Amino acid sequence: MWGDWRQLWEIVSVPDNVPIVALLFLVPFYVWYAFRQALATDKLIVQLTSDPQLAKTHHRKVFPWKLGWDREVHVWPYLLRIEFLAAIVITVILMVWSITLNAPLEEPANPNLTMNPAKAPWYFLGLQEMLVYFDPWIAGVVMPTLIIVGLMAIPYIDVNPLGNGYYTYRQRKFAIGTFLFGFLTLWVGMIVIGTFIRGPGWMWFWPTQTWDHTRVDFAVNRNLNQVLPFSWVVPDTAWGRGIFGGLATGAYMVVAGYLMHRMCVMTDFAKKLYNRMTLMQILTLNMLLVLMLSLPVKIVLRLVFRIKYVWVTPWFSV
Amino acid sequence: MPEVQTDDPIQRKSLSTAILVSSFLLVLSLVWAMEDEFFGLRPWRGYQLRFTAAYSKYLKQQIPKQENALKAIESSPRYQELLAARDAAQKAAASRLAEIDAETRAVNQQQADISDAFTTARGKVQALTYQVELARKGSSSRASREKDVEEARAEKYTVEAHLPGGKIGKEELDFAALSDKFVSLKAKKAELTLQRVAVSKEASDLSAQLEEYKKEQLAGLGPEQLRSLLRASADLPIEIRQINVNPSNVGLNNFGSGGLVDRCQSCHLGMDKAVVPVTMTVTKADLGVSKSHDAPFTSHPQPELLKAHDLERFGCSPCHGGNGRAVSSVEKAHGRYEHWLWPLYHSENFEAGCQQCHSSDAWTQYAPVLNRGKALYRSRGCIGCHKFEGFDDQPEQLQASRQMIKQLEQQKKENELEVPRLNKQADNAADNDTAHALYAKATNLTVTISKIDARVEQLDRRAESLSREAKKVGPDLKEIRMKLHKEWVPYWLGHTHEFRPATKMPQFRLKQDEVEAIAAFVWQSALPGPALPAQPAGNAAHGKELLQTRGCLACHSLGEGANSVGGDFAANLSRVGEKDRYEYLVRWVHNPRERTRPYCPFEKRDLGPEDYARHGLPFVFDLDHSRCPNDGHELEVQQPTVMPNLRLSIEDARDVASFIVTLKRSNASYAPAPFMDDGNLLEKGKALVRNYGCAGCHEIAGFEDEGRIGAELTTEGSKPIDRFDFGRLTEVAKRGIIVQADGSPTKKEEESWYDQRGFFLHKLVNPAVFDYNRSEATLKMPKPNVTADDITALTTFLLGSVDPQFPPEYKYLPADQRRDIQEGWWIVTKYNCMGCHQIQVGQPSILQTLPMYQAENKANLPPALTTEGARVDPKWLEGFLKNPAQSATDTNRNGVRSYLQVRMPTFSFSEGEIQKLVRFFAALSSQQSPYMTPKLEPLTAAERDLARGLFTSKAAPCLKCHATGNPAHDKIASAPNFLLARERLKAAWTERWITDPAKIIPGTSMPSGLFRREGDRWVFSGPLPASFHGYTKDHADLLVRYMFQLTPEEQRALLGRSPGSNGAGGAN
Repeated sequence: MWGDWRQLWEIVSVPDNVPIVALLFLVPFYVWYAFRQALATDKLIVQLTSDPQLAKTHHRKVFPWKLGWDREVHVWPYLLRIEFLAAIVITVILMVWSITLNAPLEEPANPNLTMNPAKAPWYFLGLQEMLVYFDPWIAGVVMPTLIIVGLMAIPYIDVNPLGNGYYTYRQRKFAIGTFLFGFLTLWVGMIVIGTFIRGPGWMWFWPTQTWDHTRVDFAVNRNLNQVLPFSWVVPDTAWGRGIFGGLATGAYMVVAGYLMHRMCVMTDFAKKLYNRMTLMQILTLNMLLVLMLSLPVKIVLRLVFRIKYVWVTPWFSV
Repeated sequence: MPEVQTDDPIQRKSLSTAILVSSFLLVLSLVWAMEDEFFGLRPWRGYQLRFTAAYSKYLKQQIPKQENALKAIESSPRYQELLAARDAAQKAAASRLAEIDAETRAVNQQQADISDAFTTARGKVQALTYQVELARKGSSSRASREKDVEEARAEKYTVEAHLPGGKIGKEELDFAALSDKFVSLKAKKAELTLQRVAVSKEASDLSAQLEEYKKEQLAGLGPEQLRSLLRASADLPIEIRQINVNPSNVGLNNFGSGGLVDRCQSCHLGMDKAVVPVTMTVTKADLGVSKSHDAPFTSHPQPELLKAHDLERFGCSPCHGGNGRAVSSVEKAHGRYEHWLWPLYHSENFEAGCQQCHSSDAWTQYAPVLNRGKALYRSRGCIGCHKFEGFDDQPEQLQASRQMIKQLEQQKKENELEVPRLNKQADNAADNDTAHALYAKATNLTVTISKIDARVEQLDRRAESLSREAKKVGPDLKEIRMKLHKEWVPYWLGHTHEFRPATKMPQFRLKQDEVEAIAAFVWQSALPGPALPAQPAGNAAHGKELLQTRGCLACHSLGEGANSVGGDFAANLSRVGEKDRYEYLVRWVHNPRERTRPYCPFEKRDLGPEDYARHGLPFVFDLDHSRCPNDGHELEVQQPTVMPNLRLSIEDARDVASFIVTLKRSNASYAPAPFMDDGNLLEKGKALVRNYGCAGCHEIAGFEDEGRIGAELTTEGSKPIDRFDFGRLTEVAKRGIIVQADGSPTKKEEESWYDQRGFFLHKLVNPAVFDYNRSEATLKMPKPNVTADDITALTTFLLGSVDPQFPPEYKYLPADQRRDIQEGWWIVTKYNCMGCHQIQVGQPSILQTLPMYQAENKANLPPALTTEGARVDPKWLEGFLKNPAQSATDTNRNGVRSYLQVRMPTFSFSEGEIQKLVRFFAALSSQQSPYMTPKLEPLTAAERDLARGLFTSKAAPCLKCHATGNPAHDKIASAPNFLLARERLKAAWTERWITDPAKIIPGTSMPSGLFRREGDRWVFSGPLPASFHGYTKDHADLLVRYMFQLTPEEQRALLGRSPGSNGAGGAN
């Protein structure tokens, strides 16, 4: 059933999903807002570097300095009063929210019956969505670990000295691009999919499609080695699958690694940074990028080409 | 803050407006939060305030009313009389009381005088004595300590004593004197207290009588009690009121891990015993609340139920459903939201709550809807497809015991082979010990074989009993070649409810080819013979009379639609003539249990004369000849119908059958059905019969052991909603869209029906709705023939059929006499005993409601059994239930009430059923079992004469109405023969009966007031014969003793003297 607006409203209005609906609006807004600031700074940087005279007086970007003004504005009261205002407004919002929407408690758990769909809390929906693309060991253990390790590694592989304390895009294009891809596209995107798209049986329901509990889907999921032209050459045995999968994954690593490398040295500025990095830093960065890229690649393979796993071994599947 | 004079917007711009506005909003949200905290999240506060107001108002109205009532009582002569008597008594006792009080005061004074000295002396002596006891006997320290004691005892105490006359004198007293005085004063005081009680007894008794009188006369609570309630309700604390039950065994439900917590009374304040006492009821009207959603204040509408189910033990939510802990909103508290699994039952289904503990009852008091649901579940044949624990499971038990017999026989065979083998081994054994061991083993095996025989024999007896109990809802289809007109069968399958609108049979959704295949299979698989003997035609007019008078209408009905008269337990007979053959009807009316051929469950076929002939036996099979000639095990020798044998003569049976065949529509005609004999349809028909589970209700050749095809419904009410097959209506149901009869959704929306109740309701109205839009109709369930009330009843029953929320010890499984009652109801409802007999006070039988048994014709009704257990000897009842004719040869009559037209039929109960029924009646009348016949005092010759006089007196012509055994008289008699009394009746009941029969059976033709109470004995109230002067014993007792010792000779002698009876007949 299409055009089922009531279904959409039911999903949107669940107290559970309020943060995600807010996310839909707030994340783009703040991305836009941050970019506005960053681009303004960038513009100012260009102006100031081209006109050293101007730099002596003119280093405020929103309200350019004028004669008679203070050269510096104090934190107290000019920053703190704004923060105080923000704190009050947020408190009001939180109070109204907590009065109007109660905690979405559900029925007593019944060990004999799982609810359908059984969804994780909204902030974990991305992880749950990942289970569709990898086996639980990879999606539930390896990937989350890598995400945390990767976040921890950032200070050690970030050799760019610019961009501290002010908004800028030009000076941190790579970092911002990686963040936008990893957080917005992958993490938030998967949360949105998990919330609005995944219905009973974790099946794919487009918005306004009825979440029919009795829906039956026909989908054949194959492993990569069962797909033409590989199925001609690869025997569908444990050894065949293991060796072929290893080779295919290896090939992906090589190709993706090379592409990532090309991407990292696309500009002169980037090259300069690259030259400052040790081999260890380069390898770590490259590996993390390749692994991050594997997720969208796998999503496409899975959703578009109906390929379940690339590499099947008795211990894990990728 | 530095003074700002620049025009730098960061410094110059003021945020004060924004901060002011947002601070204001913050304060507002705080206020809102407080409001939410006190009322929004706690709506019960509002309810409690409103309840207190309404309740106080009600009490204030009540107080003057009760005061006036009390005043009226106080001015009544009886009250005044009592009051005067009490005042007089008080006056009379006053002077003596004053004396006693003065004396008591004096004694108290004297006691107080010595009290200090005495306790000091006693303390000293006791402490020193303790020291003495610590020292070794004979030691010097002991001697010295004993001396100390002596000194303490001798010590003198100066006491200021009040002397008579008000003076104060001094006395010197030692310990012994003090304690003597103390003891004597105590005794004196006790005596004075007793005297006081004795003197004021009369007055205090009268005071108590006064209070008692006020209480008796005043309906409801007294003004003082009301005032204290009013005070309490004014000070009622606004708080959560909860019931907390912590049973030993807790599970996953309302009795959650912390036990049961029910806070219902936080809003339903009227249910709180502390607020509205149990002796008071408060309705919506009393409190002036009328809106249905705003009236949680009434007291429990059925206080009797609360007496049996103490709130402190049962709580509210386990019976009613709902989320007992929730108090945040009506919706949450009632559990009417998707996340609570036990929502409050709808008002028409609330009896569902009874079922979880009373699932073992066939009949539960105060639950008429539930009882109806259970009865329908059995009688409409739901049980044929859907197993339900506790409901007729004889087929399963039979199967199990037959399986057991087979296993045991196999074992026996193996043992028989093993014995010679062992013996042979022993013969060839190498040494003596081995040989002995082997011989012993062989001997043991031989004994085991005999034990197996004993078990098989018991199992066969059990099978006999079970096959008597196992009934099918529908008729036996093996006999339809003899019974039915061929053309009618396919018509019936396709037009079940059209042909007979009140039939039990549901309407299957069959296509024409399916109808033909099923009809052909059933027809061709039916028994070919032996053919029934031809019967001459009978007298239809006499048949009609018999049908209307013998009690057939307790179960069957005559006439179509609104004209139908009779019970709905069995078929409506109005069109039977269109379908049945005369010869078969004659046999059926004569003995409905008669079969054409017995069925052997071991050989799995119907036996014929040839099987019997092979063993040189006549082709005779009945309850006394129920063993298979081939294998010696139990056969099915009866039709599996509950219809009993009315013991009509064959002529009467022909008359009745002749009448029944005339019952048809004049224009009835059925299309020829050549396909009925088409052998090609057999396979298809058989598959369809299996698919639709026809054998659940009918006996069908080849399907005797067929199981029930439907889902078991024992815990259907707690089946998770996802497991109900809503089919394409899942989303429709969730949105509460109303569907048409075929399941197609309309535009209208109401409350969601995606729950158990919605499923049951829709399924029962038309099971086909859930086939809506399916490419292939897959649901087998036929459309049951039920009314809207029936559907409510069945839904209630199914909703209540859950995994109980209560811990197991709450289940109603009594171990005392109530268990006999519980078991008995299953049989009473199974055989429709209540069609003819009234069993419960206030529950009329079917016959009682029929037009032909009204007014003066009430005397023609079968006896009411409300006190049957107290009335009859259980041993006699056992024999009567086995053979109601009370005779082996003369069976075309009633055994006890030969004068009644209505016939107590022979049910061929199993042994177990008879025992249960006898215990049931005993338990209903609180009779202990076993029954010990009390020994009656023998009559002296003088007493016999007196009794004869009473028996034949003009004022009490007993033999005028009671049967005597003389056929001419018995025709007009309206009461049983006295000769039966000794065997049949209990003496104590008989005495209660003759002194006041109307009290036991209102409207009985036995006259009341035959005796009057005189002192502590009953005295005949008619004119007494002269010989009674000087007889001081109880007249009723005398009569009962005479009755119980009556012999046939004595009765004949009496008849000669009796004024009302046919003396000439008696002499014969």
